[in-house]
Amino acid sequence: MMNSKSLRTLIGYTIFSAAVLLLPLLIDDAYTLNKFSRYLILGLATLGLSLAWGYTGILNLGHAAFFGLGAYCMAMYLKLQTVPVHTGTGGLPDFMVWNNVEQLPWFWEPFHWSYLAITAGIGIPVLLAVMLGWFVFRARIAGVFVAIITLAMLVIINLLLIDQQRYTGGFNGITDLAWLTIGGIEFDPYSKTFYYLSAGSLVVCLLGTGIFTHTKAGLILQAIRNDPDRVRFLGYDVSAYQILAFALSAGIAGLAGMLYAMVLEFASPTFVGVSLSLSMVIWCAVGGRGSLLAATLGAILVNAAQGSLSENFLETWQLILGGFFVLIVLFLPKGLISIGELIRWRRKRTDRVQVQVLSSTKRARGIS
Amino acid sequence: MEVFISQIFTGLSIASILLLVALGLAIIYGSMGVINLAHGEFVMLGAYATWFLQQYAGIGLIPSLVLVFLMVGSIGWVIERGIVRHLYHRPLDTILATWGIGIMLQQLVRLTAGAELRYVELPESLSRSVDLLGINFSVYRLFILLVTGLLILLTWLLLMRTEYGTKLRAITQNREMAECSGIDSQRIFGLTFAFGAGLAGVAGSLVAPIKSVSPDMGTHYVVDAFMVVVLGGVGSVAGTAAASGILGEVTAGMAYLLNDTLAKVIVFIAVVMLIRFRPQGLFSQLVRK
Repeated sequence: MMNSKSLRTLIGYTIFSAAVLLLPLLIDDAYTLNKFSRYLILGLATLGLSLAWGYTGILNLGHAAFFGLGAYCMAMYLKLQTVPVHTGTGGLPDFMVWNNVEQLPWFWEPFHWSYLAITAGIGIPVLLAVMLGWFVFRARIAGVFVAIITLAMLVIINLLLIDQQRYTGGFNGITDLAWLTIGGIEFDPYSKTFYYLSAGSLVVCLLGTGIFTHTKAGLILQAIRNDPDRVRFLGYDVSAYQILAFALSAGIAGLAGMLYAMVLEFASPTFVGVSLSLSMVIWCAVGGRGSLLAATLGAILVNAAQGSLSENFLETWQLILGGFFVLIVLFLPKGLISIGELIRWRRKRTDRVQVQVLSSTKRARGIS
Repeated sequence: MEVFISQIFTGLSIASILLLVALGLAIIYGSMGVINLAHGEFVMLGAYATWFLQQYAGIGLIPSLVLVFLMVGSIGWVIERGIVRHLYHRPLDTILATWGIGIMLQQLVRLTAGAELRYVELPESLSRSVDLLGINFSVYRLFILLVTGLLILLTWLLLMRTEYGTKLRAITQNREMAECSGIDSQRIFGLTFAFGAGLAGVAGSLVAPIKSVSPDMGTHYVVDAFMVVVLGGVGSVAGTAAASGILGEVTAGMAYLLNDTLAKVIVFIAVVMLIRFRPQGLFSQLVRK
């Protein structure tokens, strides 16, 4: 069965996917292509956030933690692939040599294998999300406290990454990475191959989550956002669904993080920073937290706008962006996507007011 | 023994700064339910105001405290009237809006005062150190402790012994009933936000001479301050004070045994555990919802 809303959503998804996949036909410049891949990847991360926040009502201020963990997993693998260029004689990454580490730590060992590393890049964020979700949602913690706990988790991971300089590269993070090569295909971040990898991941995730939100489980997630108690009274295990949404969201963020480390060719603690994490929330809210596509577009648009500005204007841009964001929260809580809705609503309201005026004049006449 | 005493003192001095920053936040969150992520930026504004007054008007640190309180307080009032008051029925959105405000304030300062670090000088009388019981204490740290104590006392008196405080407590308990009794909750909320912002401003002025002053300094404070508020429990000045004392001492102790970063990590984990098992905080009184 297809109503007009689902039809519109389907058309939106199709146009977006086609546009994203056909873009390289128009662009030939490697640098621009690399920039666009980066925007798409940030869009992918925001898509994940929208699933947890917009759909299930989990305001996760620590989304960048999952993103950053994915990025570090990929960076660890790609660093070990540079042997022996950026490593010491023992196959140790350069920063470990500088920090007098003599043997590769045990948790680095699995990152010699690409499939293990990729599994870890998605699996570790998912595992963390399940554990944290179990810890938090089983106790029926909601709202502001979820925001504070996720923020604390983010800060903890960030501090640990900086503190364990011997194993994580500290402030500088893991730099000078190799290119990912899988099955003989080399993903040079400035190539069309890499663009298709990021665009493909985004389209697959978007369609996948889009379908998921239209299943029964997806509907329950939205019901939980609107009123968890009622869903509980109907006999559903609310926390299980919350954990599911949280884990999916974390997995998508992990995937985006892996791609991000590849496109920028490094991973640093700023990927797990409070600023990036809250920026993702901003992008999501600007586009429209209640729609997966709108949230993704929000991230892409804000970043594309930011990327097209000159260095000198960047500071003023941040100021404008902050103001713009405050206005959106105040007047368009559903994001830019709801502009049409707002205009329609206004029009309907003026119509109604006119009808009321008409009827009251009639009544006044009748009395007189 | 000497190590022990100086450790306690270090802890107290961390605690006093935490408390200074958290006090305003606790009042705003406790009474209005607003998660104010721009709070760190109020601290930053206070630090810059102090630097500005010293640099261009030649006003010393101590006299500028009152001026800074009024300046940052009025900025807070304008923000509450202009933006925050529209969001009382959407508490989670206050997190987003105040973060946006924070970005704006940061950028405004960066554009006007520059991104480089600024330094605030201490008056002669405070930059010395004294020997007590054979241990060296910095006079300025003692001064901060003293001012923090005074501010706590003032806040407590304001909340418990004035008409304004009574009205605010009435609104916190039941806004509709308070309004029915003729209390103008809009006005009280405006003043409360201004008061919280002003306290953050004073905190900024006091930390300016010992920490570096930069446009993004606020971000470091706001998360820590939230941990204090959560630990202390909502709506209790004494709880906030006790929580910052605990956090300060534990951080100092852990930092002595391990290092600063790990100390912070452990403290944060402990606070997360606490939210899980006792979300009302350690010291909150029973409130009927």
